[in-house]
Amino acid sequence: MSAILEVTNLHHRYGDVQALAGVSLSVGEGEFVALLGPNGAGKTTLVRSIVGLIKPTSGSVSVAGGDPARASVRQRLGVVQQDVGFPRTLTVAEVVEGAAARAGGDPGAAPRALDEMGLSDVRRRRASNLSGGQQQRLQLAMGLVADPVLLVLDEPTVGLDVSARRAFWATLAERRRRGTGILLTTHVVEEAAAVADRVVVMDGGRVVAEGTPDELRRFLPGRRISARTTLPVEAIRAVDEVVSATAANDKVVITALRAEPVVRVLLQLDNNLNDLEIAAPSLDEVLADLTSHRKKVAA
Amino acid sequence: MTAQMMRLEVRDELLAIRREPATLFFSVLMPVLFFAMFIGLFGPEDGADAGIIASYGTFAVLAVVMLSPGIGLADARDRGWLRVKRVSGTPLWMTLLAKVIAAIPYALAVLLALTVVAVLVGSMAVNVGVLLRVFVVLVLGAMPFALFSLAVGARAGTTAAAAILNAILMPMVIVSGLWFPHDIMPDWVVSIGQFMPTYHLAQLAQAQVDGGPWLGHLAVLGLTTVVGAIVAALAYRSARP
Repeated sequence: MSAILEVTNLHHRYGDVQALAGVSLSVGEGEFVALLGPNGAGKTTLVRSIVGLIKPTSGSVSVAGGDPARASVRQRLGVVQQDVGFPRTLTVAEVVEGAAARAGGDPGAAPRALDEMGLSDVRRRRASNLSGGQQQRLQLAMGLVADPVLLVLDEPTVGLDVSARRAFWATLAERRRRGTGILLTTHVVEEAAAVADRVVVMDGGRVVAEGTPDELRRFLPGRRISARTTLPVEAIRAVDEVVSATAANDKVVITALRAEPVVRVLLQLDNNLNDLEIAAPSLDEVLADLTSHRKKVAA
Repeated sequence: MTAQMMRLEVRDELLAIRREPATLFFSVLMPVLFFAMFIGLFGPEDGADAGIIASYGTFAVLAVVMLSPGIGLADARDRGWLRVKRVSGTPLWMTLLAKVIAAIPYALAVLLALTVVAVLVGSMAVNVGVLLRVFVVLVLGAMPFALFSLAVGARAGTTAAAAILNAILMPMVIVSGLWFPHDIMPDWVVSIGQFMPTYHLAQLAQAQVDGGPWLGHLAVLGLTTVVGAIVAALAYRSARP
């Protein structure tokens, strides 16, 4: 798979703050990469470097072999950003026509992009009068209208309802099949896990983990056990291989290194133990674990 | 592709001005109404010449060219729309140039409206050749002021940009003798006025009417263009994304 996006050893400082500290990542042709991390992890700075909004202090970014600081390279990008407001004076169709022209494409392709994002009915309305969800879809229509080689999506599903989200993911799946690389940042971790080929976790301006969603789940060993029991939480915490135990409603939620020996002991201690569930840790939990180390050290 | 990109950029900017009636009112109608009032009250009894367009037209053109691009840029930045442009395939110079080009038809419209008022209210004799030269000088000579407008728009918010640009424009216009002639002003105001690029633009336009010297005024406007370009580039580059 040839790389559409290549980020190499990227550093960026805002005054005394080191926002990026040696980030490297790549996105291949037709590959879907999700970029996750807590607020302040450096995701926005990384995205801004990739789309040419800021010039990094050191390191390099290459989009389809070129520097995104050059307008001709940015023509090959489709971008959905956060907090974008549209001009009061342009209609939906005019906004997408302009996006096509700026990407070096044909403004005549605007109706197809609007149709793809379900915005044909509102094409004559002023873009600034659309709802939040419609504006998100309009940004995606702008990003897709000229068939970019790379889509960079910063929290693109904010404000979308369930059916719009489904249509959105279906559109992205179709674009992937046609070879478009996708880099997505989101806070909705499980959503990213469901669609991404690869997940990159950032914290403190660095990449702290990278792999498929299944590979990342293996970063957090052990199992999550929940059960209804009369045993006190303290007694459960004393059992071998139990990492943590908390009471939640009328159940106890236990994190254990291994499930089987812990369940065996619990059944010996409480004959009435019921509603037993054992699950692998969620990607949310993995992310929280991966990004909590720095905070623990800082504390 | 570049021509098509430029055409759509300019189209968007023209629509932005046309679909905002408030902008149109302040930049076109107000100068014309003021002019009608001034020429009605203080105009010469034996009929005006094109010199009145050269002086008052300088103010009217600057009101369009200095306010519209800067306020438009500040509004685009406040909304986050400028970020959309900056991550697009449009080169920076094209985004900024489109704002300036879009102001030109409105500058011409205001000059035409002033001419009509001067003929109807001030009994101005029309010399088409002279008027055309005045129009060309005023529109092209106002371009360096658009650069300062963009510099303000790159740094200030929308409301602040409008206030700052008016605060720069109005004193320059008054001390340059564009509203009231220098003959009725104190010497110290006249002295200050002669350092203003607005004064030299008006004098360059006046030279098209009376054949006076023009080279020095052109040199001042050339220098103003260089300074304006540097200030605009620095302001834009240091503006937040």
